[in-house]
Amino acid sequence: MIDRDDLELFERSLRQATERATGAELDAALADLGWLDVVQAEPAAGIPLLFDLVGRSLATSSALDRLLALRLGVGAPAVVLPAIGRWEAPGAVDGDRLVVAGLGTANLAGAPSALVVAAARDRHLAQEVDTTSLDLHPVPGVDPALGLVRVTGETTVGGEGQPVDWSSAVAWGQLALGHELLGASRRMLELARQHALDRVQFGQPIAKFQAVRHRLAETLVALELADAALGAAWLDPSPESAAMAKALAGRGARTAARHCQQVMGAIGFTTEHDLHRFVRRVLVLEQLLGAPRLLTRELGTEILERRRLPVPLPL
Amino acid sequence: MDLDTFRKSLDDWLDGHADELAPAYPGHGTVELQVEQIAKVRHLTHDAGWARWGWPGQVGGLGGSGLLRAYLSEALSSRDLVESGLYSMPEVLGPSFITFARPELSAAMVPPLLRGDEVWCQGFSEPGTGSNLGMLTCRAARAEDGWRVTGQKVWTSLAQMADRCVLLARTGTLESAHRGITALFVDMATPGISVRPLDTMHGEPEFCEVFFDDVPVPFARTIGEEGQGWAFAMDLLPYERSTALWQRAAFLHRRLQQLVEAAPPGALDPTALGEVAQLVHAFRARSRATQHRLAAGEDLGSVTSIDKVALATVEQAVFDLAEETLPDEVLLAGGPGPERWRKEFLYSRAATIYGGSAEIQRNIIARRLLELGNDR
Repeated sequence: MIDRDDLELFERSLRQATERATGAELDAALADLGWLDVVQAEPAAGIPLLFDLVGRSLATSSALDRLLALRLGVGAPAVVLPAIGRWEAPGAVDGDRLVVAGLGTANLAGAPSALVVAAARDRHLAQEVDTTSLDLHPVPGVDPALGLVRVTGETTVGGEGQPVDWSSAVAWGQLALGHELLGASRRMLELARQHALDRVQFGQPIAKFQAVRHRLAETLVALELADAALGAAWLDPSPESAAMAKALAGRGARTAARHCQQVMGAIGFTTEHDLHRFVRRVLVLEQLLGAPRLLTRELGTEILERRRLPVPLPL
Repeated sequence: MDLDTFRKSLDDWLDGHADELAPAYPGHGTVELQVEQIAKVRHLTHDAGWARWGWPGQVGGLGGSGLLRAYLSEALSSRDLVESGLYSMPEVLGPSFITFARPELSAAMVPPLLRGDEVWCQGFSEPGTGSNLGMLTCRAARAEDGWRVTGQKVWTSLAQMADRCVLLARTGTLESAHRGITALFVDMATPGISVRPLDTMHGEPEFCEVFFDDVPVPFARTIGEEGQGWAFAMDLLPYERSTALWQRAAFLHRRLQQLVEAAPPGALDPTALGEVAQLVHAFRARSRATQHRLAAGEDLGSVTSIDKVALATVEQAVFDLAEETLPDEVLLAGGPGPERWRKEFLYSRAATIYGGSAEIQRNIIARRLLELGNDR
């Protein structure tokens, strides 16, 4: 266990790092701070702390790749993510051919090699592949600052690859993204709150109008529920609890984006205000490692098949 | 007594006494039957010691964390032994009563409540002041030998069966608003009190109008000091919106599970079911965190408004799904099973109204948690 004072110090350092740096610079700062060591010792502390801050600051880093690789038990500088909206492994093995169709973070684009996980009957196998042998296409799309690349390709692989626990890695990744969504959403709520207090109409701040107040209150309720589900998932990070938390964080971010953008009015629709950056970011994060709708339908299907709800969280 | 030991031994005891504890009626039952059942369960669990854990020694409790009480209520709700809303009355009234009442008063009055010998009601709302509690007008005038109460309360749950009423009355001027309110502990058998149950949409006269006509209340029955009524109410409302809700999470989980079992093949849409299951889970996670914060001695106050809005949202989502999935049972059919779905579905319509409406909760969230300033 890391003691409380050390964690507070660590959080302050992380906050400074994410506010000042992004991309490779942030990676260097995280390496200096030993972030991955903290994750290894106490994932329930290290992952939420960093991803909440990254969500707030809109920074990018290799953190998602690092923690997926750590959980997969394979040292690699990058990990190919599933296609948008999906969580299934991005690779498929066909004889000695490995076919890849997925996404990569900005970090993957600059990495010499990347881990590709493929489903093979009842297990998952990981192969480290030179990024030069893959086709990487930048997909700036709705959120260019995120720097995602589309990863496709077909390569010959030597050996069958290393067996890995993909669903545990996905669970960590979903929780990390859930915290990033929550951090970005809380920041949107702060921006909308400040705007509601500053913007005067009919001789008073629009924060006095109940329609505005209730939208913001409703946003906070959605975010607190997502926060609670994320917290509960760390008590028992099973694939099911992580998927529920990710779905709730994704829907919460949608609620936050909708209400906050409405409260901010036209200024929130311009690029002169920062809100649009957060709206863009949560739209994409929501879809990574499982869109809320997919995760929700899969949960419902699972419940119907076993005719049993997930085990209720113990007090 | 730690929580894990308590959980294990209570579960064993409940399993071993399942027949004794079971309700004597099928399905939902009337409000009278539900109250009788709760009294029976309280007697049995109190005599066996379980219901005394988590309460302080001064009211006959065995001490220990409030989490023990929360687990007892969860275990009873998840086994369908008590109606969770009515059962939670001591959780709502007890803690603040113990904090504010003189020690002799709480030592005398709380044990019969916990043992199930008495039913208490909460006389807060009035015809002219539902949400605007600070302007209540039910008056307690000072006489030589005690208070004389005159006025009216409404939406008073279980007043028709209650032995006592925890009453908010005006002892100052109306202009003194919330400062001129005093909490009193009133025997419902006192001459001058009349109770008129109100018929409700779900078919159970759960709440009443209560009329007070020059009702004498001894000074010794003042809860706290004169003028402390508002502080008492503000202390109490977070319990109404937190401790009391944990068992509701257990109730909603049980009913959603029963819906999954009762649904004909193809009737439940997987996405709709998944979303409600996520909401039930998230509410439970939120309520769990709240119970732990309370047990750690945190003063929760306004944050419990989040719990209340969440509960109302989730409860309506569960029963909306039930209605969409089992329309014949919920809307048309007779018999204990369908009637229970129907009553619970209809009752869930009130979840955004009772205990401080969803709008009042959002006002509290906006003002206190988001610090958006006063809205007037």
